[in-house]
Amino acid sequence: MKIVLKNLSKIFPSRNKKSNGVVVAVDSLDIEIPDGKLVGLLGPSGCGKSTTLYMISGLQKPTMGQVFFGEHDVTMLEPEHRGVGLVFQNYALYPHLTVKQNIMFPLQNLKGEEKLDKEEMLRRAQEAADLVQIGDLMDRKPSELSGGQQQRVAIARALVKAPRVLLLDEPLSNLDARLRLQTREEIRRIQRETGVTTVFVTHDQEEAMSISDIIVVMKNGVKQQVGEPQKVYDDPANLFVAQFLGTPPINVFDGELSGGWLYIGNERVMDVSPDEPDRPVVVGIRPEGFIPSGNGCFSGDLKNIEVMGRDCSVVFTNEKSQKPSVRAIIDSDAGASLIGMSKVSFDLKRNKVFLFESETGDRIRF
Amino acid sequence: MADFSKYTKKDLNVESASRSQRISKIAGNIITYIFLTIMAVIIIFPFYWMIISSLKTMEEYRANVPTLWPQNIYFENFATAFGKANLKDLFLHTLLVGTISTVLSLIVTVLSAFAFARLQFKGKNVVFGLLMATMMVPGELYTITNYLTVSGRLPFASESISALDFTNTFAVLIFPMLVSVFYIYLLRQTFMQIPNELYLAAKVDGTSDFKYLWKVMLPLSVSTIITITILKMMGAWNAYIWPRLVANDAAHQLITNGLRGASFTDEFGETNYPAQMAAVTIVSIPLFLIFVFLRKYIMRGVSRSGIKG
Amino acid sequence: MKKKIDNAQNNVTAADLYDRKTIVKLNRDIGSQNQLKGWIYLAPALLLLLVFSFYPLINTFRMAFLNGYNGLAIVGGESFSVGIENFKTVLAYSDFKQCLLNTILLCVITVPISTILALLIAVALNSIKPLQKVYQTVFFLPYVTNSIAIGMVFNAMFTRVGLGDLVQTQGIINNILGIFGIGPFNFVNVGSSWGANMFVVCTYIVWNAIPFKILVLLGGLQNVNKQYYEAAKIDGTSKVRTFFRITIPLVSPMLAYVIITSFIGGFKEYSSIVGIFGEGMGPGGNGQMNTIVGYVYNMLPKSNLGNASAASLILFGIILIVTAINGYVSKKKVHY
Repeated sequence: MKIVLKNLSKIFPSRNKKSNGVVVAVDSLDIEIPDGKLVGLLGPSGCGKSTTLYMISGLQKPTMGQVFFGEHDVTMLEPEHRGVGLVFQNYALYPHLTVKQNIMFPLQNLKGEEKLDKEEMLRRAQEAADLVQIGDLMDRKPSELSGGQQQRVAIARALVKAPRVLLLDEPLSNLDARLRLQTREEIRRIQRETGVTTVFVTHDQEEAMSISDIIVVMKNGVKQQVGEPQKVYDDPANLFVAQFLGTPPINVFDGELSGGWLYIGNERVMDVSPDEPDRPVVVGIRPEGFIPSGNGCFSGDLKNIEVMGRDCSVVFTNEKSQKPSVRAIIDSDAGASLIGMSKVSFDLKRNKVFLFESETGDRIRF
Repeated sequence: MADFSKYTKKDLNVESASRSQRISKIAGNIITYIFLTIMAVIIIFPFYWMIISSLKTMEEYRANVPTLWPQNIYFENFATAFGKANLKDLFLHTLLVGTISTVLSLIVTVLSAFAFARLQFKGKNVVFGLLMATMMVPGELYTITNYLTVSGRLPFASESISALDFTNTFAVLIFPMLVSVFYIYLLRQTFMQIPNELYLAAKVDGTSDFKYLWKVMLPLSVSTIITITILKMMGAWNAYIWPRLVANDAAHQLITNGLRGASFTDEFGETNYPAQMAAVTIVSIPLFLIFVFLRKYIMRGVSRSGIKG
Repeated sequence: MKKKIDNAQNNVTAADLYDRKTIVKLNRDIGSQNQLKGWIYLAPALLLLLVFSFYPLINTFRMAFLNGYNGLAIVGGESFSVGIENFKTVLAYSDFKQCLLNTILLCVITVPISTILALLIAVALNSIKPLQKVYQTVFFLPYVTNSIAIGMVFNAMFTRVGLGDLVQTQGIINNILGIFGIGPFNFVNVGSSWGANMFVVCTYIVWNAIPFKILVLLGGLQNVNKQYYEAAKIDGTSKVRTFFRITIPLVSPMLAYVIITSFIGGFKEYSSIVGIFGEGMGPGGNGQMNTIVGYVYNMLPKSNLGNASAASLILFGIILIVTAINGYVSKKKVHY
């Protein structure tokens, strides 16, 4: 089922009653989520991504705007009529029911023509449990399961009623690092096998990048960019997106456009369109955008070289960097030749360098 | 393999679903509020009836068709109540007994709670367990022997020792009920929430245990102390059984006993209900005031216990 | 002191140098040196408890098992044989049987009714936003009352006023019932039936018991994670099913607590009835509404101490049994 969010906004009254203020959690969101895709809603905490998810589920009502499932406007529809499955951040498994009872719970709510007999319910519960590979834990109570197993039960419970849309709120945040890697592959697999349109919320860009078909980057309730993860990474719409995606994060410098050239400090780094007016800009350079070169256009004082197998990261300082140190990722052989030097200089890969307006952070395409 | 979409209902009937959900939501709300309002009226009704009855004349109270508001507000009932039930003395007795037993009880409770919460000594856990176990025992079991004890009838004596007969004194209303294991438990829990580091810091600074208790623990436990004070005062105000047994003479009678014992019946055998209701109202007023101003402290204590007063 | 120093390794630990007792002493935290201090702080409470709780407990057992004990004459006079005569006598009294029946009935009737009502009110309160605090305050009102005083108000509401045939008002409750064409009944006046009295007493006890239960149950409901309800809502769970399958199991610990405390309170019921009927424990003082506790207190001034003790031990026994049953059922039914 395709999901369309039109001009969706959620405004809360501010907690501080005296100020009479409001908090805009989600601001005029327009997103189209194609049928059958795995979509990651990504942003720092408080960016409105969970609120958006809850509005899709129907648990929260938008202040303005509409939610469409396919052609249907479901904005005012209660969650039970939407046919969504929701996996809560802390799973919300009923503590007094066994795994089997938890998974069957949604099926037992069906009424009238949809009503299922006991065998059919058990069969579907078993099918859902097998899908998430907990088929042998059916008689346990949630308290007897590990975090990862609870997560799977929650997914099975959400899937068993064959939802039109599967929603996951921070599905990996309560798991330890090892389980996280494993579970995110699992979510990818389950989504592929079922083909259900899936939206999940996360603050972890790596998580979103690794499994999503599409990511939606949000900040302060405003959509920043939508697209396939690699495209968004390679072509960020603004400084925020560029900084939010990628580990290690992008290096940011104060630069200047002058006479068709980009300067960082005194160094003339790159040519730009001569039509660009002269002005200060913000320069973002991905760590993998540096090529060591004896007389490169960009240099700094070497601090440290960390070798990590195939790659190594070169840590150096540059007075125009917005952070104390700059990090470049190059291959180990090239890194080895830099050991012992006090100054390093680089050429830059043009497609790894991004320019942004210093005031707004908007991307400058040069 | 697992194609759940085959189970998904294809049509999403927005129209009828949103109509039915709207109706059920409104209906649910209306039913909830009607239910709560009916129950609230039932809960309030006795208070309402008490107050309006206390303001009616006997004629109006007796009327075949009851009035829901007094036609002439007749305050004289309160004067009658004060006279008939000797309310002034009862108030004074109760206040005296309530205040003294609250203060003493607080001292005893604070000392014990501190010992249980902070001090280390052999046998602590055994004694604490023993005390907790007594919470199971119904007070009636103690009352029989305590009645004998305070009247000087000791098990080894063949008859009552009059020198040890404390019936009809204020002391007998205060001491047997002084220690409440529940209060000790309540305050111990509060004390234990105070971080141990504070105690250690005070020790490092050379603060004595008693000074630490007085200067640090008590100020941090004020709300529990208030809860205990209110419950204890209410206990004195509502005490009935024990006072009736041991100190029911005019010089020591407490308010509840005086109220129940007072005769509002005239020489023809007719009960002056408005005056009785006035007396009941007077007795209830302090409790209402506590309710209005100190409700949260009571609620805090109550939700942790089944006891009343 | 045990000394086992390995010179070659020179690897000495405290365990090698000191025996266990010394280590315990060395490890003792500050503030724990003074054994006496703890007992001094406890002394006032322990002294009072010893005289007014522990001694009575033992003495009550003693009196209960001395046949026909009347509290007098051990020195020189008649002595009492040990046995269970008191229990036999008490259980044979028709008065006591009536008290026992009344008490049990009061519990069996009022505990379920007040618990169900309180649960419904608590759930309703928990589901509303506007006016929640106002309603909550109202429902807590009966808690902070004097049970004797309000018992008198209940008496007034149910009493008809007037002498003999000259009945003038039937009492407000009969008036209200009259609107629906019911009654009038003789609820509490002289000559009223045991059933009518029971109705009045139960009504009062339920009214009086509700606030505490609402408070505890509402506290329990408010502690239930909202996400369980959201999850149920997503799955289209009906209100009724949510109530039975989610709400009740999740507040079952509070329900168990409320039920056990009100059973114990119910078996000790006394002052509500004094409030309504006076110490006569029945219309015109006929004692037909008397309870176990009432029976114990009636025995006291008569110096019927053996019987009073036996009766109070029977009460204790009942409370222990009820607590044990409740504990057993809770273990089976109460979740986590």
